[in-house]
Amino acid sequence: MADQNFKSEPNRIQYLNEQKAQGRYLLGVFPALYPREILWALNILPVEIWDPPGTAVLANKHLQPYICPIVRNGLELILRGETDIVDGFLFPHTCDSLQNLASIVNDHLELNKPVFSFYHPKMPYTAATQKFYRAQLEILINQLTSIFSPIDTDRLTECLRLSHEIGRQLNKIFKLQRTNQLSFSNSEYYPILRQGEFLWPEDYLKLLNEITAGETIPSKPDTAIVLSGILPNPVEILSLLDKLNVKVAADDLLNNQRRFYLPQSKFSNPLDALTEAYLKRPPCSTIGTPISERLNHLIKLAIGSKAKGVVFLIPKFCEPELFDLPQLKQGLQKAGISSLVIETELNCGLTGQLTTRLEAFIEMLGN
Amino acid sequence: MKDVGAPALIGLRELTRKKRSRSQSQLFGPPLECTNRLKEIMTRHYYLARFATGAKPVAWVTSGAPVELLRSFGFYTIYPENHGALVGAKKQGAAMCSIAESAGYSPDLCSYARIDLAHTLSGKTPTGRLPKPDLLFASNNICQTITYWFKAISYHYNIPLILFDTPYNYTELAQTDINYMVEQLQQMIPILEQASERKFNNSKFAEIVGRARETSLTWGAILATMRNSPAPMTIFETFFHLAPIVSLRGLPVAHDYYQILLTELEERVRDGIGATSREVKRLMWDNIAIWYKVRDHSIQFAEQGMNFVTATYTNAWAETTQHLDINNPFESMAKTYSLVILNNNLDYRLKLMQRLIQEYQVDGLVIHSARSCKPYSVGQYDIKRKLYQELKIPAVIIDGDITDERAYSDEQTKTRLDAFFEILGN
Ligand code: SF4
Ligand code: SF4
Repeated sequence: MADQNFKSEPNRIQYLNEQKAQGRYLLGVFPALYPREILWALNILPVEIWDPPGTAVLANKHLQPYICPIVRNGLELILRGETDIVDGFLFPHTCDSLQNLASIVNDHLELNKPVFSFYHPKMPYTAATQKFYRAQLEILINQLTSIFSPIDTDRLTECLRLSHEIGRQLNKIFKLQRTNQLSFSNSEYYPILRQGEFLWPEDYLKLLNEITAGETIPSKPDTAIVLSGILPNPVEILSLLDKLNVKVAADDLLNNQRRFYLPQSKFSNPLDALTEAYLKRPPCSTIGTPISERLNHLIKLAIGSKAKGVVFLIPKFCEPELFDLPQLKQGLQKAGISSLVIETELNCGLTGQLTTRLEAFIEMLGN
Repeated sequence: MKDVGAPALIGLRELTRKKRSRSQSQLFGPPLECTNRLKEIMTRHYYLARFATGAKPVAWVTSGAPVELLRSFGFYTIYPENHGALVGAKKQGAAMCSIAESAGYSPDLCSYARIDLAHTLSGKTPTGRLPKPDLLFASNNICQTITYWFKAISYHYNIPLILFDTPYNYTELAQTDINYMVEQLQQMIPILEQASERKFNNSKFAEIVGRARETSLTWGAILATMRNSPAPMTIFETFFHLAPIVSLRGLPVAHDYYQILLTELEERVRDGIGATSREVKRLMWDNIAIWYKVRDHSIQFAEQGMNFVTATYTNAWAETTQHLDINNPFESMAKTYSLVILNNNLDYRLKLMQRLIQEYQVDGLVIHSARSCKPYSVGQYDIKRKLYQELKIPAVIIDGDITDERAYSDEQTKTRLDAFFEILGN
């Protein structure tokens, strides 16, 4: 089942150029929560900007040193001209730093590209939340259609189906992984999953289907962990986990399973279905989920995946995550689940100290 | 954020306790008589807080939350941001922060939050004792950080958190946003009725909204006295006098206090009495105060003949209150609270600063890049550049923190300020 073809990511720039040649628009989207189904239905390909490689230099003219690497590297990418290919940007309202970055890009950079924003309501929700979120979807559609293509409701319904299917396949992949039926290593399958950050939905679904439809190959029953946090970065962590015979059996990352959840809806109207999906999305620090809910979710993930511990991967200066950690760690400990927090720059590899900490943690889990 | 007040209170006491040297006191005009009244009010507020538990429902409230609604139910309100500033002014910030850090909170988090978490975990506070909250009342119109912080407190005490979610104004305030906020406010009523065991009283609520409006307008008039030259007060004093508008807004005591303060300032303007003896250059301050350095800064700038006459920070409580309307309290509260500076885009902020620069005849700008406060600080570099390009206003950036002394370097600040003084002096 582990077809080598999966392992080579298509050349991103080439792929994006091909998409443009087919008449699609490209929107550079910053993390994290946005209704991508609406973009797809408008013939817009969201190209997510999470962790571009390279060291930030130009961004330092705009940002203080105490800002997280996702914001800094994303801005650097824009300033280096490497986002020239996109037709505009979309900033979901994720945190204070991204909120202000949206304003820097919109108000100060003079890029001559439209900059859209998307405010999503924060928890605890009230009876007013549902109506407001739905209104935000309509506002976004109006803003996008005034610049790009008109919306096709049938296509939107189809995009919801695709999204649901993508979520289902991702869950299946994690299930195969935790039942030792997937022979991909961590460092192999995360890059595949992350292709969803820029592939057209049909292409991405095809890729996921090929993975799950293949013959299952039993793999070794490695030590299982839950990976939580923002991104599976630095990527060297994944190779280290492979080396230590540890598998990620459940995922609570913002760029992955916290977002890809679109349940079958009781609503026939796609905007109602998207609203319902937003309100029911898994716990997440960036929407203000109460600690108790996040904790229960993590415990459930750990028990369900027979994970022995939770590893939190947190980009430096990430306030939404850092605030939750002490109480989550304490709650996990009470539930008999060990956890480790790794705070990192995104692309700076692993220091010897981090390697030692992770090794020691895994060794402790084995005992 | 706009926390000063009470907190400052204790800092203010410290300030006045430490006798200025003769040469230092020559730098300033006669002290404001009102300061003693301010001390009394705020000391009493914190003193009564000790006995609030059981006597009144207690709410911990964020500085930008629509407290008028809570007041109508008789809540005793505590402002943890104020408390943070107070700790900072007493130079106990780093020590308190390290208590939270040893419980696992990152040193990169907002230091007001770390101080509050430290107090929650250890009970330590320079006020003697703070009453435990029955309820938390927050608004994210100042930052998202506040919601993460209050969420942690809510989990710790196992008490409800009410959030007033104010959509950020990337461009302009939209009617859908107003409707959303109005509905939230209306939906809070039954929750507050239950928590306070009191029925909502519309006329009482309108009275409080009206009083809050009057108080804020008076605060605006107080700040406006500083358009005069010499300005009758320094911004360092307003940091302290902001206390009642933040933490006692809507109550008669705050309203009455500002009437007295305004009268005193008007008299000083009439008599040509300045806050500093020499006001050669007029400055604007951006961001929250550096609480542990207020005294040093006030002396340092006064020595150069420079006086701070306006601040984006103190202005926040005068900026939007004119929207408050007793005939339309919910919608007007939605506007008042969602239009505050930190809930607005950087272009709005730039224009606001340009307006203040003109109205207050500002010659230079001091920008505090506060490690704690990302919503206030991210974007300052661009604003600095634009202000220079468009108005030729020189600016200096001071790296520091609101309460955590460890993030501040005297040496680095001195080097930057010396260069700034030189530019302004020429
Ligand atoms: S890593 Fe954290 S702080 Fe940075 S953009 Fe994401 S949520 Fe915001
Ligand atoms: S992040 Fe800024 S606005 Fe928010 S509580 Fe801290 S200092 Fe105040």
